[in-house]
Amino acid sequence: MNGRGEPALSLRGIRKAFPGVVAVDGVDLDLFSGEILALVGENGAGKSTLSAIAFGELKPDEGTVHSRGTVGLVHQHFELIGRLRVWENVLLGREPRRGFSVDERAARERVLAVAQDNGLEIDPNAVVETLPIGVQQRVELLRELDREPSVLLLDEPTAALAPAEIERFFATVVQLAARGTAIMIVTHKLQEVIEYSHRVTVMRHGEIVASAPTHEITIGEIARAMVGGDLPDLATRADTTKTPCLHVKDLNAGSGATRLNDFFLDVHGGEIVGIAGVEGNGQNTLADALTGMIAYAGTIERRGTIGVIPQDRQREGLVMNWSLVENALLGRQHRAAARRGLELDRRRARADAAAIAQRCDVRAASLDVAVKTLSGGNQQKLVVGRALIDDPDFVLAYNPTRGIDVGAAALVQSRLIESRNRGAAVLLISFELDEILALADHVIVMYRGAVLGAFDRDRFDRAAIGRLMAGST
Amino acid sequence: MIELIATLAVLTLIKSTPIIYAALGGVISERSGVINIGLEGMMAAGAFTAVIVSFATQTPVLGLLAGVAAGACFGYLLAVAATRFKVDQIVAGTGINLICAGGAAYGLVILFNQPGASPQVPSLGGAYWSLVIAAFVLAGALQWLLFHTRWGLRTRATGENPSAVVSAGLDPLVLRTYAVVISGALAGLGGAFLSIGELNLYSDGMTAGRGFIALAAVIFGRWNPIGATAACVVFGFFEALQFVLQGQIAWLPANAMQALPYIAALIALAGVTGRVRAPAADGVPF
Amino acid sequence: MRRQLGAIALIVVLMALAMIIAGTSPIDGFTALFVGALGGRNEIGETLVATSALLFPALGIALAFRAGLFNIGAEGQLVVGGLCAGAIGAALGIPGPLGIVVLLIAGAIGGGVWGAIAGWMKARFGANEIIATLMLNFVAADFALELVSGPLKGPLAAGAETAWLDPKYWLPTLLPGTRLSIALLLALVLALVLQWAFTRTVFGYDLRASGEAPEAARRSGINIGRLTWLALTLSGAIAGLGGATIVTGELHRFNTQLSPGYGFTAIAVALVGDLQPLWICLAAFGFGILESGGLAMQASAQVPKDAIHVIEGLIIFVLAARRYVATRIEGGAP
Repeated sequence: MNGRGEPALSLRGIRKAFPGVVAVDGVDLDLFSGEILALVGENGAGKSTLSAIAFGELKPDEGTVHSRGTVGLVHQHFELIGRLRVWENVLLGREPRRGFSVDERAARERVLAVAQDNGLEIDPNAVVETLPIGVQQRVELLRELDREPSVLLLDEPTAALAPAEIERFFATVVQLAARGTAIMIVTHKLQEVIEYSHRVTVMRHGEIVASAPTHEITIGEIARAMVGGDLPDLATRADTTKTPCLHVKDLNAGSGATRLNDFFLDVHGGEIVGIAGVEGNGQNTLADALTGMIAYAGTIERRGTIGVIPQDRQREGLVMNWSLVENALLGRQHRAAARRGLELDRRRARADAAAIAQRCDVRAASLDVAVKTLSGGNQQKLVVGRALIDDPDFVLAYNPTRGIDVGAAALVQSRLIESRNRGAAVLLISFELDEILALADHVIVMYRGAVLGAFDRDRFDRAAIGRLMAGST
Repeated sequence: MIELIATLAVLTLIKSTPIIYAALGGVISERSGVINIGLEGMMAAGAFTAVIVSFATQTPVLGLLAGVAAGACFGYLLAVAATRFKVDQIVAGTGINLICAGGAAYGLVILFNQPGASPQVPSLGGAYWSLVIAAFVLAGALQWLLFHTRWGLRTRATGENPSAVVSAGLDPLVLRTYAVVISGALAGLGGAFLSIGELNLYSDGMTAGRGFIALAAVIFGRWNPIGATAACVVFGFFEALQFVLQGQIAWLPANAMQALPYIAALIALAGVTGRVRAPAADGVPF
Repeated sequence: MRRQLGAIALIVVLMALAMIIAGTSPIDGFTALFVGALGGRNEIGETLVATSALLFPALGIALAFRAGLFNIGAEGQLVVGGLCAGAIGAALGIPGPLGIVVLLIAGAIGGGVWGAIAGWMKARFGANEIIATLMLNFVAADFALELVSGPLKGPLAAGAETAWLDPKYWLPTLLPGTRLSIALLLALVLALVLQWAFTRTVFGYDLRASGEAPEAARRSGINIGRLTWLALTLSGAIAGLGGATIVTGELHRFNTQLSPGYGFTAIAVALVGDLQPLWICLAAFGFGILESGGLAMQASAQVPKDAIHVIEGLIIFVLAARRYVATRIEGGAP
C-alpha cells in the first residue's frame, strides 16, 4: 500500500560533518505512510548518520526534519540495558505507576499486549542479557513499537538474525506497513531489499545518488550505484598443497549461551576455512580460546606463528592515541627482532609501519599521526597489514571487513587470499555469509558452540548452510 | 561481660552511622554511573560547616542542615564536572578531597584563630540517636526507591547504559546530577554527625578515611543500599572494637589497633574476587 | 602548555584571594611567599629540599598513572620507606657510603612492598587500587607511630622517633650551609631514567599500552596482571626511596612528621607535569616554592599555609579534564 499525500517524514537539505569527514552532504528525503523504503549504501556512506538525524538523536549542521507523529529507531547496535528485564527496557521512561512505585504487573501485561499485537513472542520478565541476540533485537523493536510510531527506522535490522528469523522479522515489518506505518530500512543486504521494499534510495559519500521504485531496478544497478562503478576484483585463488597447521578437538570453553561444546576444527596451510554462523553462537569464545585469552578444555594444536585480525579494531587492535609507527609494533613488541636490548628498535618499527602502509594502501597524513584520525577502512587495513607482515603460518581473521567501505574490504579479502596462496592456514570467522562463500575453501557451520555441518567449496549450498545456521538439521 | 557486649553493640551503631550515610551516597552516585571519590571531602565539608553554623547560630540543627547543604554543594561541583565537562571522575573527586581538607584547615585559622581543632560548639546532644536510627531507615527506604520506583529504575538505567536512556527520551546527565548531589548531601550529613552528633567540635583529619571505607562498603555490598549498610556495620564494629579493647586492655598497641577498620576494608575488598559487577557505565563519562 | 599556564594563573588568583581573606594584602602575601622561598641561600636550600621530597613520589605516581592506575598511597609508601631507613640506620654498623646505599635500598624495598600489597590485591582480586592504597596510608601511619613509640624508639629520643643516624650515614650536602642534600640529584637522575624508560623501552611501551588501551594491550601479549603489580610496586618503591632520602638527607632520623602531605601534593605535581618526568621536575620546583614559601608566608604574613593545599586540590580538580585512570571500580579481576 503506497499512501501518498503528505509524507510522514520529510528531510530537507540535511548536512552533517564530523572532524575530518562530511557524513551527510545535502540530502532530501521523503518517507510516506505505508511504504517500506530501503536506504542502501556501503559502510561510511552516511546511512546511519542520516537515520540518527531523522530520529532526532543527532542534530544536523544544516537542514530540517519534519515528521508527523512519533519516530522510532531500532539501532544497529542495540541500546538495551543487559542487566534489566525486558519490560524495564521496553517501558523505560513510560513506566506505569501505582502510587509512588512502578506497577510491575501492568508493565508486564502491556509488553505482552504490544508483542502479541505485532505477532512477536517475548517473556517480559526475562533479563535481557540472558536472551539470544535475535530475541534482544525483538526487545529493542518492542520498545519502539510501544510508542506507536508513525515512522519506524530500522538500522541494519537483520545483521544478527538467522534466515528463518529474518523471514519472521519481515513479516512483522510488512504487517506494520500495511497498517500505515512509514518504514525506512537501512541495509546493505540487497537481496532483502529486492524482496521486501517498495522503494530504494542509494547513498554514496553522504549524498543520494539514486532513487527508484524497487520493481524498476536490479540488484546489479543498485550495487553499482552504491560503489560508483564496478565492484573491485578479488585476488585469484592459486592451487596449493595443504599441510596440517591447526588441529582442534573436543574443545570446551566459556560458559552460558556462548559456550563451546566439543568443538572440532582442522585448518591446513594453503586453505581458508570459514566459520559460518549467526552472531552470538560462540564465535567470540572460539577466537578467545584460539588466541589464548581464555582457559579451555580439550585439544588445540597449532604449528608455527600466528597473526590475528581482531573483530573490534578500536578496542582490541589499536591504541587510538598512538601513531601508526607505535601501533605497528602492537602484538609484536616482545619479539627479538623488535628490540635492541631493553629498548625498542624504533628504526625497525618505522620501517615496518611504512611497509604495512604501502602494502595495504593505508592512507594517512604521515606515519606519526594518531591512528584515531584515520578512517575505519584505513585503520582496519593497518591492523590487517600488521597481522600479515611477519608472514604467519596461521591467520585468524574475525570479521575482518566489518564496518569498512567496499574498496577497503576488497583489499583485505585479497590479502587473505594471497596469504592462503603463499601457504598460510587462514581461519575466517565472519557474520557475513557472502564473505565466507566468496573466500573459503571449506565452510563449517557453527551453532550454539558446536559444529553442525561442513561443506567443501565445490559443494556450497547456500540454503542448506542457512538452515544449519539457524539450528535446524 | 554483658555490659561489654552492650557497649560494643551501641558503639558499633554509632561508629557505623557516618559511614552508612556516606556509603548510601556512594551507592546512589555509582548506580547512576558516577564514581564519587570525593565522599571523604564532602564529609569533611559537612563536618566543618556544621561546626561553623552551630557556633554562629548556637543552634545545632541549623548546623546539621548547613552540613548537608555544604556536602550537596560539592556534590554539585562534581556533578557538573562529570556531566558537563566529562572529566576523569576519580581525579576530580581527589581534587575535591584536598580542597575540602585544606579549606577546613584554612578556615579553622581564619575563623577561630586556632589551628588543628575548633573550639567546642553546641552539639545535637541526645538527639543524635535519631540520626543513627534514620541511617538504617534510610537504607531500607533507598533500597525500595532504587528498585521499585521510576526514579530508581531510570537512575539504574543511566548507570548501565546512558545511550539507552537517551533513546527512551530521558536525560541521563540530569539523572546523574541529581544522584551525585544527593550523594554529596548524604556525605555531608555523615560528616555533620561526626562533628556535632558524636562530638562537639571539628578537628583536622577527623573524617580519617571514612569516605573511602564507605566506597569499600559500596563494593562489598554489591551496590545495594542494604548490602552496603551491612558492610558499614562490620567496619563500624572494628572501629568500636578497637575503642573498647583499648579501654579494657592496657598493653594493647593502641596505635596499631587504630588500623583495624582499614585492614577490615582491605580484606573486604580482596574478598569480593570477581564476584561483583559494577554498573556497566560506572565511571565512564557520557 | 596552555593548560599549564592556565593552572599557574589560577594559582596566582586564588592565592591572592586567600591572602585577602586572611587580612593580608596580596602584595605582602606574595612578597612573603617568594622571599621566603627564594630570598636567600637558606631559603633556596629549603625550597630545593621540598622540591626533592616532592619529586620522588610524583615520579612514582606518574609511573602508575601511565599504567592507568591511581596510586593515592604515595604518602604511606613514603612513610614506610622512611621508617625502614630510619630503623635500619639506627642499628647499622657498616662503613658510611655503603651504609647510605643500603638505607636507600631499604627505603625503596619498604615502599615497594607497600605498593606491592595494593598491586597484588588488584592483580589477583581486582581490588580497586585507589581504595586499597588509601587504606594502606592509614595502616602505615598507625603502624609507624606504634613502632616508633615503642620498639623502635631511639634510646635517647625525646618523642616518638628513631635514634639519630650516625653522620656517616647522612646524605652528603649539596648546598653547604643548607639542608639540601644530593637527594635532589638522585631525583633528577631518576627522572631521566624514567623518561628513557617510558619512551624507549619495551617495558615503557607495555606500561603505556596497558594504561591507554587495556584490552588491546592484553591481546598484544602483555601480561596485564603482572604489569599492574609491577607498576604499583615500582611506584611504591620510588616513593619509598623518597622517604628514605628525607630520613638520610634532611631529618637524619624517622618520625611520623616527615611528610607534610608530600604524597598528596605529588599528585598535583604529576598532573601539572603532564605525567612526563622532565616536566614533572619543573612542576616539583614550582610546588616546592609554594610549600617552603607557604611556611614563610604563614609565619610573617599570617596567611595559613593550608591555603596552598586548597589550591593544590583545585589544580587537581581542574586538570581532571584529561582522562588518566583506566581503572574502574569493579571487583572483577582484570
